[in-house]
Amino acid sequence: MQEWANQLCENRQFGSKMTDSKYFTTTKKGEIYELKAELNSDKKEKKKEAVKKVIASMTVGKDVSALFPDVVNCMQTDNLELKKLVYLYLMNYAKSQPDMAIMAVNTFVKDCEDPNPLIRALAVRTMGCIRVDKITEYLCEPLRKCLKDEDPYVRKTAAVCVAKLHDINAQLVEDQGFLDTLKDLISDSNPMVVANAVAALSEIAESHPNSNLLDLNPQTINKLLTALNECTEWGQIFILDCLANYTPRDDRESQSICERVTPRLSHANSAVVLSAVKVLMKFMEMLPKDLDYYGTLLKKLAPPLVTLLSAEPELQYVALRNINLIVQRRPEILKHEMKVFFVKYNDPIYVKLEKLDIMIRLASQANIAQVLAELKEYATEVDVDFVRKAVRAIGRCAIKVEQSAERCVSTLLDLIQTKVNYVVQEAIVVIKDIFRKYPNKYESVIATLCENLDSLDEPEARAAMIWIVGEYAERIDNADELLESFLEGFHDESTQVQLQLLTAIVKLFLKKPTETQELVQQVLSLATQDSDNPDLRDRGYIYWRLLSTDPVAAKEVVLAEKPLISEETDLIEPTLLEELICHIGTLASVYHKPPSAFVEGSRGVQHKRLPGSSGSGESVESPDPGSATATEAPPAVIPSQDLLGDLLNLDLTPTSTTGPPPPSSGMQMGAMDLLGGGLDSLIGGDLGGSPAMTAGFGAPPAAVPPSFTAPVSGGLDDLFDLGGGVGMPVSVYVPPKTLWLPAMKAKGLEITGTFGRRAGVVQMEMTLTNKAMSVMTDFAVQFNRNSFGLAPAGPLQVLTPVSPNQSIEVVLPLNTVGPVMKMEPLNNLQVAVKNNIDVFYFSCQYPISMLFVEDGKMERQVFLATWKDIPNENESKFQLNDCHLNSDAASSKLQGSNIFTIAKRTVEGQDMLYQSMKLTNGIWVLAELRAQTGNPNYTVSLRCKAPEVSQCVFQSYEAVLKN
Amino acid sequence: MMISQVFILSSKGDRLVYKDFRGDVGSDAVGIFYDKVTALTGDQPPVVMTHKDVHFVHVWQGGLYLVATTTAAASSSPFAIIEFLNRLAALIKDYCGALSEKTLQMNFALVYELLDEMLDFGYVQSTSCDVLKNFIQTEALSARPFSLFDLANVGLFGADTQQSKVAPGSAAARPMQGGKSEIFVDVIERMSVVMGANGVLMKAEVEGEVVVKCFLPSCSEIRMGLNEDLSIGDPQLRGYGAAVRVDECHFHPAVRLDEFDAHRILRLSPSQGEQSIMQYRLADHLPLAPPFRLFPAIEKDKTGRLLLFFKLRCDLPPKSSAVNVSATVRVPKGCVSLSQELSSPDQSAELQPHNRAVVWNIARFAGGTQLSALFKLDVPALSSASTLEVGPVGLTFELPKVTASGLHVRFLRLAPAQHRGPARRWVRYVTHSDSYAIRI
Repeated sequence: MQEWANQLCENRQFGSKMTDSKYFTTTKKGEIYELKAELNSDKKEKKKEAVKKVIASMTVGKDVSALFPDVVNCMQTDNLELKKLVYLYLMNYAKSQPDMAIMAVNTFVKDCEDPNPLIRALAVRTMGCIRVDKITEYLCEPLRKCLKDEDPYVRKTAAVCVAKLHDINAQLVEDQGFLDTLKDLISDSNPMVVANAVAALSEIAESHPNSNLLDLNPQTINKLLTALNECTEWGQIFILDCLANYTPRDDRESQSICERVTPRLSHANSAVVLSAVKVLMKFMEMLPKDLDYYGTLLKKLAPPLVTLLSAEPELQYVALRNINLIVQRRPEILKHEMKVFFVKYNDPIYVKLEKLDIMIRLASQANIAQVLAELKEYATEVDVDFVRKAVRAIGRCAIKVEQSAERCVSTLLDLIQTKVNYVVQEAIVVIKDIFRKYPNKYESVIATLCENLDSLDEPEARAAMIWIVGEYAERIDNADELLESFLEGFHDESTQVQLQLLTAIVKLFLKKPTETQELVQQVLSLATQDSDNPDLRDRGYIYWRLLSTDPVAAKEVVLAEKPLISEETDLIEPTLLEELICHIGTLASVYHKPPSAFVEGSRGVQHKRLPGSSGSGESVESPDPGSATATEAPPAVIPSQDLLGDLLNLDLTPTSTTGPPPPSSGMQMGAMDLLGGGLDSLIGGDLGGSPAMTAGFGAPPAAVPPSFTAPVSGGLDDLFDLGGGVGMPVSVYVPPKTLWLPAMKAKGLEITGTFGRRAGVVQMEMTLTNKAMSVMTDFAVQFNRNSFGLAPAGPLQVLTPVSPNQSIEVVLPLNTVGPVMKMEPLNNLQVAVKNNIDVFYFSCQYPISMLFVEDGKMERQVFLATWKDIPNENESKFQLNDCHLNSDAASSKLQGSNIFTIAKRTVEGQDMLYQSMKLTNGIWVLAELRAQTGNPNYTVSLRCKAPEVSQCVFQSYEAVLKN
Repeated sequence: MMISQVFILSSKGDRLVYKDFRGDVGSDAVGIFYDKVTALTGDQPPVVMTHKDVHFVHVWQGGLYLVATTTAAASSSPFAIIEFLNRLAALIKDYCGALSEKTLQMNFALVYELLDEMLDFGYVQSTSCDVLKNFIQTEALSARPFSLFDLANVGLFGADTQQSKVAPGSAAARPMQGGKSEIFVDVIERMSVVMGANGVLMKAEVEGEVVVKCFLPSCSEIRMGLNEDLSIGDPQLRGYGAAVRVDECHFHPAVRLDEFDAHRILRLSPSQGEQSIMQYRLADHLPLAPPFRLFPAIEKDKTGRLLLFFKLRCDLPPKSSAVNVSATVRVPKGCVSLSQELSSPDQSAELQPHNRAVVWNIARFAGGTQLSALFKLDVPALSSASTLEVGPVGLTFELPKVTASGLHVRFLRLAPAQHRGPARRWVRYVTHSDSYAIRI
């Protein structure tokens, strides 16, 4: 079939008529011929039947595109049924036959004028579905008319058609002004038209994330809420989803919208209910918790969620996934509804597991007895996965509700008595966790556990049991025998068990040194000499050295008090949860993944966040615009694919110094200019001394005092300040830290930072905050090539793991010998940060002032000569407004940032400062600063061989003088 | 909420209907879907499946896969898509009489026409039969003409009453156009019960709906009276008494409730075809005792066999009875054979070793009676823990002419003027087991 289709195309190219293709004779000759004849028949009935047959073939995947002209010939008919069939065919094949499709245009345009609204709508609907670029221009006029049609059925169809057209040719839609017409339709009298206009606008707005297409303000919201009551259930979904994107101005507006949305909760269509839940969950964030209405709303949310669970298992599963999110965010909504989550014996396993998860999340002291009774029942079911999860759930209950721990432990012991292999193993794994939460409380059960040692065949259970034996070795008489029995098959064990066994025996040795010396030696040699697993070997060596050098220290390290395990383990991290709450009811909420996880860079996805809550009405008023722009300036996060190419080549392991850049021929012209041109002409003069200085500062960090490359933590900041303070009277300007990498983009890692220059060393000062649920380790950093060759002078020193919610300060010394590439803007720096979770990319801009070297003061004569030497067109003038310093204060302030005043003149009350500065790559910048006494506006003129830097230099002036 | 494609596949994977709405997913999605859905194992949630950036949502009805694809994970609601597919299935049933491979093949043009009106660019436009019939031109072809022979095919309700008064189960399965003017009102309830080993009711829940299937030529108004003592909401709010109660209920948007508060009368002008006009839920305080109770005894005999002695009592009123009762008893692992003694010949029992279960089937179980059974199981590795592995017992059953909630249709009146000749009105009740578990 495919073959003859190809052949057919070829034939067409040669201009031959396809009908005589010999391929018809071999395969489907009869059928196509017959259909062709019938399509050209005079009888209407016969024509209709023929078109139906064609469509039937089309459905099962046969290629009937060869009949295109014949089918199109049937288009001009007054029989609506036939017309619809022909249109159906057209939609399917127009794309593959664009030239033929043009033939149909006239009929479409005519149909758009038909007195029958059904035909007008049909024509405009079908035309939009023909995704052929050429047709779009013919579509514009009819569409414009249909958007203003008197019949709502035509208008609602035309509204959707705008979205279709936008999908094919977005520019055309904007040029033709259809978007405005569409916006007008939001005020249409017919709710169906409103709903479609909202749907179309929402979709179009998605591809223009920053446009204000859906101009949501109290008036439009009011219109939408009115339409909500009147339109169909499907329209209600569009409107509710659109409402969810609105952020109310204050809690009163929020409440009034909630009040008008709550009736939707009792709708029979679960999609309407879920969309309403989404709106309410979002707007609830803004309501003060002490408000009566807040409590009322909580109560109203429970019944519809419970009702969702009466649906068929498929919908139940989707509902449970959403309830799981809601329960994590607001457990109070369903706290009294525990019973509905009890599993039914005939639920499918995926529903059972999901219910179990929610049961644990809702478990509290009030209902724990009930929950435990259920869980115990589940633990005897048939399905192994479910039983395992039920046993594990008992352990989680014990950890979550302290009062129930004892009962949980005894329940687990009962289960161990059943001797069902997998139940016993699961129980031992969770009992280990219970021991870690409540140490020294339930050791009496150890004897029972030990009885089951032989039946453990899963690594996790074996490891758990070994941990227990090691941890409580002093209370188990035959601990050494037990551990020894495991040691026999050491090499057959999984790594998990091997590691655990090693640690347990070391613990045992430290507790009972006399009788276990041989055992510990045995395990150490097994681990270090006979194993090829580096983790095991390393751990073995550490223990070995610890034990041989300082047994007391070993005891302190190995037997140290361990932190208690936390209550809730598998919570979704808060930032992700917030985003998922904004997507309740969507596919994202079923996968528990943010929508961006599904889109691969092709379409921009906006991250949604919940609005902040507020105590009172006033505090929600948006902050004044000045500070808003400062705080909300979007951190530039680099789309990963841009940088990946460059950075993947770099070695992301924490290396020491990056070597000097290889003589790269790939350097861009701009960079050459900055480095070469400027340097030659400026240094080429009689600027003695400077090459030496350049060497001193631009050299690799070998020249840097050792204390700077030493492990750096918060405390060292002071040290740097001290060092800086000695040489310079005025402190260097360091901009405040800004958000570089939001936690949302980096799986919970948030980075704020700034740049500074302390004691001649450029450094990057960062605060790393762990907003995820797990510990972060193994940090490393790399830079992309940049304008001034900035590169880390040493590894990123994060010595301790960063636990959740912890922040640490890191100072990273930089050098300027890295590879060079001109960036736009010049001071842009693209950074990759790695941790144990992933690699993240962001970009930031450094103040160029940190690249001003300490020997940037020019001799007066040289200054004069250079100033003249630089052509006038290289001079840039800037205005600096609102600077209330006098010229002397400004001068000393600038000097702190290595901008040196060489001379000062005063002419008619106007101070003129002549200044110079030198960048790390040897470029000199000369400046003239004019200040009129009493006038807060300064004029800065900058002259430089490489005028590109002027803009950045001026920004530094501004930053330094205004802070 | 953007549906890219809708397609309907037979159980063998043949395309019956395929329509593309947005052109952003290739037609190879059909094959991908079929490969994925047939590769699913029982413990994977089947609802939503993903392939690259295409998401498949499907429902399985009448032996067919109704599938929708979408690429917009952030804005598409699986609820909306599933609801839509269910409506599509219902509409096809309404128009063609049944949803099957055959009816689809005969009526594909009609289905395309329906889809064209129901979805535009993947946005759902309307699923209401009343609205759609203004646009639909194609006549439905019925798979087989409605005939009197169907009356012989006695369905759910025909157990023991006079045939003339009872509509057969299949009577309502026909296209809505043409035929007699009739209206069917079905009150269907599903019951979930968990009973503890000591006979204490641990959980009881009833989900019900009132479904109207209307074959009246024009939309005349009907008035439906429910129990006058029906109360809605919290039991504590309304004193004592045996009144019929539901915890909450939802109505179809077309139902007019102006007489509901005072007289419990629903008014509506049903559109042709089937619609669920009321859904309700009731938990814990059921008006009647649960229909079945079990009295088990478990022991080991001298030869090492496990003996299960069960007495099962049906607590329905004496005039009612349960049909198709099936009790599934979970038995210890490693059971090799079963011998049984049952109290009457119309029962049967079998051992299903792969499910670790004994299934006891009772075709008919009259209210107020009690049946007993003795199961002797050979379990080679019988240990003391084995008795712990027995149970729970799951029951499935149908209770014709019974509602567990006690909800009742007092009367069903049609507005007289609209149509010629008397319309036949049928009201049917049934309660199914949803999940009825008795622990041992």
